Amino acid sequence: MKTNTWIIYCINFILVVLIQGLVINNIEINTYLNPMIYPVMIMMLPFELNILVTMLIALVLGVSVDAMSNTFGLHTSAALIIGYLRPTVLKLIEPRDSYDTTLLPSIHDMGKLWFLSYASILIAMHHIWFFTIEILKFDQFFFILLKTIFSSIFSLLLIILFQYIFYKPTKK
Amino acid sequence: MVNTSSSTVGWFIEKRHNITQHFNLIDANEQLQAENARLRANLPESFYQLQDRLYSIEDTLYRKQYEYIPAKVINSSSNKQNNYLTLNKGAIQGIETGMGVISPIGAVGIVVDVSDHYSIVMTALSNHSQLNVKLKTNNEFWLLYWDGINSDYAQIKNVKRDAIFNVGDTVITRGGATQFPEGIFVGTIAEQTAVDGEQSMSLNVELGVNYNAIYQVYIIRNLMKGEQLEIEDRILSADEN
Repeated sequence: MKTNTWIIYCINFILVVLIQGLVINNIEINTYLNPMIYPVMIMMLPFELNILVTMLIALVLGVSVDAMSNTFGLHTSAALIIGYLRPTVLKLIEPRDSYDTTLLPSIHDMGKLWFLSYASILIAMHHIWFFTIEILKFDQFFFILLKTIFSSIFSLLLIILFQYIFYKPTKK
Repeated sequence: MVNTSSSTVGWFIEKRHNITQHFNLIDANEQLQAENARLRANLPESFYQLQDRLYSIEDTLYRKQYEYIPAKVINSSSNKQNNYLTLNKGAIQGIETGMGVISPIGAVGIVVDVSDHYSIVMTALSNHSQLNVKLKTNNEFWLLYWDGINSDYAQIKNVKRDAIFNVGDTVITRGGATQFPEGIFVGTIAEQTAVDGEQSMSLNVELGVNYNAIYQVYIIRNLMKGEQLEIEDRILSADEN
């Protein structure tokens, strides 16, 4: 990969952490809606990226978001989970003629349907893990479930919006 | 672990606060004005003089126990399981962990982390929070917890079935745990929930403070805290021996 691309990723990283910490964290409509946008950073990494590098990025991302939202490791664990599962999910929904490594897993490059399934699987995993660990009470099972569902939908909408605002289709 | 009291993150949070603080000036001012009105009612000028002669009193009965340090809330949350506030005052202004925090409306929480310029408050809306509260009418005292579901209501567990109270009664801080003075407003009893076959029941308390609209707070410095803790420690260590 070119150094240029990594600089863009660094800028994206800072942008995502700041948007999450300063804007999204303040969306407090009710208890069931706790949207998160930073998983988009892990989703947008190149297809062929090594799992160790992915998880390293997830670790730094999680710690930064934790620092902004006083959650002491919750976001880190959730980010690591999707960093670890991302290659498996990518393999699971691989198109017939495998991935074109010049493209990015964005909504522009891969199409709406593919991105929607990709993002919703990762977001669902991330949110289930996050809210289960955050609440951690078995008698609150349905509360966790509802919170996961509503927040996932909200996060998904924000992530799609984010894609349309900040990403352009890769030029071929 | 890094949190919003660290200088780097705190810098960003404070910059955001510099912008957003203006959006809720109306609410913040109304809260302060209501508090001023309440305090003004306690001033000597507000009382009608019943006797002509005034006495100068060498006050040997009362001694100042609490000081209030004003601070601004620069970051807050209310939909997590553990909700914290970040304040723009820190160790340099004399904030220490364990100090109580109140808003113009009522008790808010306890300082749990301090850096040079910022401090973090664990609000009553937290899984780990235990507030010493009592009933205003008959001084029955309990601990206030939060079940993590609704940010408007906190819970009191283990209330004896023969406890005398009415729905709508005022719940205030108990004092005595060094963080809050006695009688700071906490909320009102909203409903009682009893489970069949259990010895005790629970109460839902509607919190007075709206954690979505909290702008100005006071940090309470208890001037006699050291003395109280010292004598309590002495008893505890005597028990152990």
